[in-house]
Amino acid sequence: MEDELYLENIDEFVTDQNRIVTYKWLSYTLGVHVNQAKQMLYDYVERKRKENSGAQLHVTYLVAGNLVQNGHVCHKVAVVREDKLEAMKSKLATIASVHVYSIQKALLKDSGPLYNTDYDIVKTNLHNCSKFSAIQCAAAVPRTSAEVSQAQTSLQAGSQTQSDTNAVSVPVVNGHGPSTTKQPSQQPKGIMGMFAAKAASKPQDSNKETKAEAKEAPGVSAVSSKPPAKSNIMNNFFGKAAMNKLKVNSVPEQPKEEKEVVKPSVPVAEPESSPNTVVEKPGKKTEPARIQQKDKKSKMKRVDKSDNEEERDPENLKRKRKRIKQLQSDSSDEEDVPPSPTPEEEKAPSPPPVPALKTELEPASTEVSAGGRRRKRKRVLKSKMFIDEEEGCMVTEKVYESESCTDSEDDFAKSKPPAVHKQPALPMKKEPKEERKNLKKGAANANRANKQISITGFFQKK
Amino acid sequence: MFSEEAAPTAQGLLAPPSTEASTFARVPVSAYANCSQPFRLGERSFSRQYAHIYAARLIKMRPILEERARQKWGDGVAVRKLCELQVGEKSCVVGTLFKAMQLQPSILQEISEEHNLVPQPPLPKYVHPSDELILEDELQRIKLEGAIEVQRLVTGTILAVYGSEQDDGKFLVEDHCFANLPRPLPWKGPSSDRFVLLVSGLGLGSGSGESLLSTQLLVDVVTGQLGAEGEQSCAAQISRVILAGNLLSQNTQSRDTINKAKYLTKKTQAASVEAMKMLDEILLQLCTSVPVDVMPGEFDPTNYTLPQQPLHHCMLPLASAYSTLQLVTNPYQADVDGIRFLGTSGQNVSDIFKYSSMDDYLEILEWTLLAGHISPTAPDTLGCYPFYKSDPFILTECPHVYFCGNAPRFQSKLLKGEDGQQVLLVTVPAFSTTQTACLVNLRNLSCQPISFSGFGAEDDDGDMEVGH
Repeated sequence: MEDELYLENIDEFVTDQNRIVTYKWLSYTLGVHVNQAKQMLYDYVERKRKENSGAQLHVTYLVAGNLVQNGHVCHKVAVVREDKLEAMKSKLATIASVHVYSIQKALLKDSGPLYNTDYDIVKTNLHNCSKFSAIQCAAAVPRTSAEVSQAQTSLQAGSQTQSDTNAVSVPVVNGHGPSTTKQPSQQPKGIMGMFAAKAASKPQDSNKETKAEAKEAPGVSAVSSKPPAKSNIMNNFFGKAAMNKLKVNSVPEQPKEEKEVVKPSVPVAEPESSPNTVVEKPGKKTEPARIQQKDKKSKMKRVDKSDNEEERDPENLKRKRKRIKQLQSDSSDEEDVPPSPTPEEEKAPSPPPVPALKTELEPASTEVSAGGRRRKRKRVLKSKMFIDEEEGCMVTEKVYESESCTDSEDDFAKSKPPAVHKQPALPMKKEPKEERKNLKKGAANANRANKQISITGFFQKK
Repeated sequence: MFSEEAAPTAQGLLAPPSTEASTFARVPVSAYANCSQPFRLGERSFSRQYAHIYAARLIKMRPILEERARQKWGDGVAVRKLCELQVGEKSCVVGTLFKAMQLQPSILQEISEEHNLVPQPPLPKYVHPSDELILEDELQRIKLEGAIEVQRLVTGTILAVYGSEQDDGKFLVEDHCFANLPRPLPWKGPSSDRFVLLVSGLGLGSGSGESLLSTQLLVDVVTGQLGAEGEQSCAAQISRVILAGNLLSQNTQSRDTINKAKYLTKKTQAASVEAMKMLDEILLQLCTSVPVDVMPGEFDPTNYTLPQQPLHHCMLPLASAYSTLQLVTNPYQADVDGIRFLGTSGQNVSDIFKYSSMDDYLEILEWTLLAGHISPTAPDTLGCYPFYKSDPFILTECPHVYFCGNAPRFQSKLLKGEDGQQVLLVTVPAFSTTQTACLVNLRNLSCQPISFSGFGAEDDDGDMEVGH
């Protein structure tokens, strides 16, 4: 009974579906050993030809054996069409193996389609490509995650030695001691995540992040390799000074990451982005106006703009639309061209990372509101006009000027609870955006709440 | 070697399905040690001059050459430094060879405005009848003439010459000798058949699909999917696969940024990205079945100077999850099942090919072994890291298998030395052009090429014989 089943299957594949049935394709599809698949194909051919000698069936064979070539004996492995089979066999001094390679309805002009069929089926079965093979290797076991992280840390050992010594000074540099240990590590991740998103600045990055949303499981072992990779990207944008700070920031990340749940290594590319982006988001939310950060951003802005503008714009448009859909409340802020951190922000509301984020955000938001009450000095791009006596004209210059402002955080701290995880996100987002784009002054957000009540309101905050 | 063992069961699969399909276990890795530590670079500093390499080379090889000189020309031969030479006195001098070549590309000449030279196009060979040999030691240099083949030799070789200084200040050479084969290693080979597969020049990403099916057939043979049972059991005896360079094709090298406008090339992905993904998939298939050593080559994404450092594992995410994947340096040295392998991806041999009259890759390979140095032309014409106190390319122990990748065709030779050394020299052909790989049998140091082919539209009887 079972015998007949495979015959019917092959019949269906070849005649009905008009496929090229190679032994490998059959082996994976029916889940049988490769040798059995080859025998099945042979059996089918024999039976079909016996029943119906006019059957439209073309067969290719694999022939292997010794061939005398150029004076030495060469082991030849060849795929040949049926009509050339005997010719090939006669050429070989000793025949090592002959078996059916594939069956198809149409006559093949060349072996390209055979390759394509095999390639496709192997691609879909990459994770167990040796399952039906005749040779099993005991040594071929995937590396455990401990080994992987060990290999990675040994690679990073050289680059991180300097940053280890600076790790302690990070909180001091930031200007205020972190209340939670998460903050310094999240803030740098925020910076790095921001810069990585800008630096990479490819749709791939956003695709990775969307995928990360779907998968929550962190493949931590591979994460540690990403920060150094990101630091390298960042190298291109920054000088040494800023670079050192970034490196420093990546170190507190790693020990933290490695303490987390360790998962057996899976394809590195995908899982590694997921924990990073998950962690990046809280990082970004905890980056209210911090001076150091602003400096970086203002530096970044110049460099970044020239290189990545076009690349960012289509992304931004895409994200802009997304933002409107999800947040719905901040329509007036849409004219701000949102730079790349916004995708991270927007995705925050989506379900999977929310629980994680929410808990992290609670302390973050309280931090923010507490911090928001303070007066902060921010560097704002302003136009200064002055009269140039020599030339006898008025000169308008755009300069960075420190301005103290408290408005932004205040407004948002009062926002409603359900939207709490969105609202605190916004002021954080807003400020980096403003710094970078400088389309609105620091009080721009305040304008939303205090719309121009009277004509004098227009002149108030300048 | 496969064929004889496999022949009895050759037609076994031309039968209805049997209930039991036999599976063979891959031969276990009995003894493997990676000895490429000298080729690994840690902190790299390029602020040094290259003179240090030459100094280290001469210092290290001088005693060996003096020993050889005494063996060849008698114990009483006067070994002199160049500064101690007397006119007319027969003596032996050990030094570094420098070949002054007229056609050698010189960047200084190219950019010099006063010469108004058009940059020279790359030639296959830069030899010229007017080339001269000069011997240099620590302090002086002297021109060589006489019984010495100027065309054959290349810059950077350490040799000992026997002759005398002439009145005109040139050295008349009567005889010369090289370091010869280094000391032999004890033989600890396996007693049963064990194979190592050497492949090079896979050339992925070339845009032409000719060798793709052959590559797939290669992977299938090694992983035991192809072939009848006899062949599969033989394939199970392949204990290692060494990929000797040029995994990516030369076509993946540039985005044509020089010729194309920036707006066309700005967002194009380098061709090597796609090629690396293909390589990753192929390596994954191999790694699930056999230990693989991957050496980088001329067109692979690693550093340009010799010794090339291993490819980074982040480029091969799928395959590097397996411990059977080893990313190794170029040149590569390892003890596999008690047999010492040493080989390169072919840059050293092809560089000597360009600057010497020797035409045969196997001959050049043998010559480098006899000269006691893997790549004498580095750093003169082949990029090399400015080593300081050591020159890791000096051969100190005689390997059992010495190979070079990316040769135009397959050749092999068993070289026997005076002190009992036995070396199998193998030139591994570029797979993308020849669809041929090499199987080395560790038991008796024999080597057999294995070639793959599909069928094409123009296929007729005569086609198969043409050296594919």
